[in-house]
Amino acid sequence: MRNVLVGPVSVVGRASMGLMATLGGATMLLGRILRALLPPRFDRDEAWRQLYAVGVKSSAIVMVTALFVGAIMVIQTAFYVQRTGATSLLGFGVGFTVFAEIGPILIGLMFSGRVGANNTAELGTMVVTEQVDALRALAIDPIGYLVVPRFIAMIVMMLMLMALGDVFAIIGAALTADTLVGVDPSVLIGDILDSHLLDEYLLGLGKAFCFGVSISVLSCWYGLGVRGGATGVGRAVNNSVVANAAAIFFIDFVMGWIFPVGL
Amino acid sequence: MIEFIDIHKSFGPKHVLRGVSLTVEQGQVLYLVGSSGAGKSVLVKHLVGLLRPDSGRIVLDGRDITWLSEAEFYPVRKKCAMVFQNSTLFDSMTVLDNVALPYRKHHRLDRAEASRRALEKLALVDMEHAARRFPGDLGDGLRKRVAIARALTLDPEFVIFDEPTTGLDPVAAANVDQLIRSLRNDTGVTAIVVSHDLRSIFTVADRIAMIYEGHIRLDGTPEDFRRSADPVVSQFIHGRPDGPMKI
Repeated sequence: MRNVLVGPVSVVGRASMGLMATLGGATMLLGRILRALLPPRFDRDEAWRQLYAVGVKSSAIVMVTALFVGAIMVIQTAFYVQRTGATSLLGFGVGFTVFAEIGPILIGLMFSGRVGANNTAELGTMVVTEQVDALRALAIDPIGYLVVPRFIAMIVMMLMLMALGDVFAIIGAALTADTLVGVDPSVLIGDILDSHLLDEYLLGLGKAFCFGVSISVLSCWYGLGVRGGATGVGRAVNNSVVANAAAIFFIDFVMGWIFPVGL
Repeated sequence: MIEFIDIHKSFGPKHVLRGVSLTVEQGQVLYLVGSSGAGKSVLVKHLVGLLRPDSGRIVLDGRDITWLSEAEFYPVRKKCAMVFQNSTLFDSMTVLDNVALPYRKHHRLDRAEASRRALEKLALVDMEHAARRFPGDLGDGLRKRVAIARALTLDPEFVIFDEPTTGLDPVAAANVDQLIRSLRNDTGVTAIVVSHDLRSIFTVADRIAMIYEGHIRLDGTPEDFRRSADPVVSQFIHGRPDGPMKI
């Protein structure tokens, strides 16, 4: 009987301690990053390299994802639009969901899987092959050299990819609306522009900024915390992807709550 | 001068260093020897702050550096460069960029000037021909040479070599030995070499210290080691599989 009670309590306790350790560690890392930014003490060459690696190499997958996001939104609403004849609401519906909700979440998840996981694996491999210790032995701060450039690159590129993704989502929606519902692309785009969705658009960018912060900090934290060789790197990548996905949904929930739009 | 004073270090239940005391004089080539897992690398990592002792003190040129902060350790690391066992070159950079990195970071040199100085250091280890190649394209021996060149960019007074000849073929190992000797002769650096390569030890060392069961078992010249009647030391330097050494 005692084991039946203690078992679940210990599982919950262990999970809570793990969560607290992650939150505490990631917060401390964020503090060190901000300290390295004021005044800026980071490697600019590495920042440019990361901007290229993160942004240019992720743009194709984000564009494809965004095209489908727009298309899916039209498919989901096409049935009701055709039944009610409310084609003028199609632009508002697509714009609202793409800008404020589905677009940021799906692009954030793609970004986390593509960039965050890669970042954790790269830093983790550098840890287990002692490259991070080698940096320290060369009197080079790994935070300023490795982490801050990644932090900047992920935030900047998450914002830019979000803006790019919004454009491609509308293109995807317009093409699908033309094919499925018979709504001319220019009409759909005109409807979106007439719907006054600036708040939704800014909210989406705000979410993208927060996703960029959380993905960069969590992926770096898990990468730098790797112990135990290749197995440790695999475990860290797995934990990083799960934690980033959870963080994305949590941030989306909190921001949606604090900044309600469309009401 | 470097002094390790009564250093204790444990990893979980494993008490690796159990009161190691050792002094390294200026201009020497000191070989730190012992079986695998004896704590040789653990001891030298304390000197550059990559590990902190559970107790004991480390004194560098009269200054206690045991509990310096990470930032306070940076000047110490410029004075005491370390060449890691696996070379630890940054595999996303060319050989030239690897060696130029400390120049860019510490001397604030532009890319062209940093590269020019890096080529000079690569020439010291006969590696300027590989400047544009990536570390992954080089063999172990050549990577070790590049790692030594990178460490020398700090113009250190002390260089720690962690198993510099492990995994190298005999010719490459002899080349690295020769390099360590010429560094001492030409630049006057003090070298601490972690090794269990007997050929290197007796070719290059001015002094040898053997770590066994967490203590310094013998500290002396190569001749002292050859003449030692200690059965553990004797078993180690003759590489005998049977004897009192616990592995």
